[in-house]
Amino acid sequence: MPILEIKDLKAGIAGREILRGVNLTIAPGEVHAIMGPNGSGKSTLAQVLAGRDTYVVTGGEVRLNGRDLLELSPEERACEGLFLAFQYPVEIPGVSTSYFLKAALNAVRKYHGEPELDAMDFLKLMKQKMKLLDMDASFLSRAVNEGFSGGEKKRNEILQMAVLDPKLAILDETDSGLDIDALRIVAGGVNSLRGPDRGILLVTHYQRLLNYIVPDYVHVLRDGQIIKSGDKNLALELEARGYGWLEEPAAAH
Amino acid sequence: MTQLMSNTSYLQGLLATGPNSSTPGPDWLQARREEARQQWLRAGLPTNTDEQWRFTDLSLLAETSFSIRHSAAAMAADGRPAGSDGAELVLINGKFSVQASRLPPAPVRVACLDQASGAELATFENLLGAQARPAHHGLIALNTANFSDVVLVEVPGGVAVEQPLNLVVHSVGAEPFASYPRILLKVGDNSSVTVVFSFTGPDNLTYLTNSVLETYVGAGSRVELVKIQREGTSSLHIGSDYAHLDKDVRFQSLSLNQGGLLVRNNVTVTLAGPGSEATLNGLSMTAGRQHVDNHTMLDHARDHCASHELYKSLLAGRSSGTFTGKILVRPGSQKTDAKQTSKSVLLSGQASMNSQPQLEIYADDVKCTHGSTNGPLDEEQLFYLRARGLAYNQARAMLTVAFAADVLARVWQPALRGTLEDLVVAELHRLEREEF
Ligand SMILES: Nc1ncnc2c1ncn2[C@@H]1O[C@H](COP(=O)(O)OP(=O)(O)O)[C@@H](O)[C@H]1O
Ligand SMILES: [Mg+2]
Repeated sequence: MPILEIKDLKAGIAGREILRGVNLTIAPGEVHAIMGPNGSGKSTLAQVLAGRDTYVVTGGEVRLNGRDLLELSPEERACEGLFLAFQYPVEIPGVSTSYFLKAALNAVRKYHGEPELDAMDFLKLMKQKMKLLDMDASFLSRAVNEGFSGGEKKRNEILQMAVLDPKLAILDETDSGLDIDALRIVAGGVNSLRGPDRGILLVTHYQRLLNYIVPDYVHVLRDGQIIKSGDKNLALELEARGYGWLEEPAAAH
Repeated sequence: MTQLMSNTSYLQGLLATGPNSSTPGPDWLQARREEARQQWLRAGLPTNTDEQWRFTDLSLLAETSFSIRHSAAAMAADGRPAGSDGAELVLINGKFSVQASRLPPAPVRVACLDQASGAELATFENLLGAQARPAHHGLIALNTANFSDVVLVEVPGGVAVEQPLNLVVHSVGAEPFASYPRILLKVGDNSSVTVVFSFTGPDNLTYLTNSVLETYVGAGSRVELVKIQREGTSSLHIGSDYAHLDKDVRFQSLSLNQGGLLVRNNVTVTLAGPGSEATLNGLSMTAGRQHVDNHTMLDHARDHCASHELYKSLLAGRSSGTFTGKILVRPGSQKTDAKQTSKSVLLSGQASMNSQPQLEIYADDVKCTHGSTNGPLDEEQLFYLRARGLAYNQARAMLTVAFAADVLARVWQPALRGTLEDLVVAELHRLEREEF
């Protein structure tokens, strides 16, 4: 059974259709990349999958491990194993990162009938994951994303992903705004989560990230539809030639 | 109702009949009381036509006939904040109860006007009404005419009081009644103290607490005042707190509001010496049909002073709130630095909030900033938390607690800060439960 199965998904806001029939299937162990010019609907797709109610789904079907995803609340989707690393992680003053993450982890554990982690075990887990991302312990006591640099915010997203251990990770422009060192660290974090049971969906409009996280499949999203799919070489081709040569929608997909 | 509020027999009905205490008191006191009575009969209750009372309708007060209770009746249920084991002074219906109190150790002094004589009486004469003048508004006049007693807390110069002093103001009764707590706080030069005022009373009873506090802070002192307003669910609470700061003072107040049906907090601070700093904080948490009006006045009477204001409100149900921040910079008060912020979260579509600065600036070398924000909880923050697995209500509760966090973080006393945080978290969970 695929981890994610999107069939003819249509969604938009206030009478404007942004996603115009998206089809995509991710099997366990696969890493897919979605590329496309600015405004093509990549973030909309990511947000719709995570359950953002600003967007209205007008058609199609989405299954996560066989379950109807669209009928679930955002928190149920998260508990079912969907994780979205946001393109623009929001700052939450007054909530410390550790308090937030512990609450999130325990919410997921509770959903699966597992006992809550106590403070000691939680700290142990955090230390281990933070080492992976070369993060300082002081992170934990800072308010969620407040005053974080762009790179710190992205690292914080990956840290959360590592702690919550999702089945499907969607990373929205996780590479944007990162210098090369930060990119390496973040990519290392993502690669360490690659595994036979997990699916990863990378959203990016640069090829650069794909040098570090090599995808199994690459798709091009344009005007709310996937117009071409291929392997990692498609990304290189896009890098060399841009998006212009793809004007004709690829009916075969 | 406006008519009734200036009707003579109504006004007379709210005045104390007969002597307020066993002895009518010294001549100066009788004279001040008489002046206050006359002022009350002239002015009556403030109405909405008064600019400073535009957003708070006192007609509820005029609709009820309140008897005055002087007797220190048996103590009601314990209303003190958990974890306070320092000194505790208890006022019951405006009357100081020695039996119910734990007096602070020397050199802090506590005295009542009732029993004062000699030098102590002179202190009362000097301080009582020197800031809270009957002419300011009718409720000051009414308090001055009606108070049962005056409690004086005095911290001499050069003393650092480590433990917070607690002052618990209970209103006790079974029929509509009014009480008029009157408190003086005098802090000498180069001292430091934190005082926590807790107001409590019975639920589901229309009663009035009309309280007046006058604080005098000597040069170089650090004073923190925390007011925890937890009056009963149907009560009216009018608090008028004044503070007069000498030079180089660090003064901070926190007004924490969770109780009461109709609440007005007047906070008036006079920066009377150069180099002083006043920080006024507020946190209101309301539901149902509560209305809380925070009205602050910072009088920058001298140069090189700073003031910071941070007032926050969380409003659920059909509750409403008002914040008015008046800043007066007098001629010659150069290098004044005044910053005012009001932020509110509307937890329901029916709640409302009104914030307004009132700046009067008569000096040119001055920095004055103000800002206010009102709105629902941030949708993006809410979604972020939910996208990590937190249930809707849990996410909302986390954000409301977070919203209050910076106000509480300002509290100087670490132990007190912890107590207040617990209290606020419990209250916010109650609000969220009521809402959903
Ligand atoms: N919340 C929104 N309100 C209005 N327009 C939106 C909103 N979200 C996305 N759009 C529009 O939908 C289109 C796709 O946006 P987006 O999904 O962010 O694209 P991408 O991530 O590929 O750059 C753009 O034209 C954008 O302006
Ligand atoms: Mg985007």
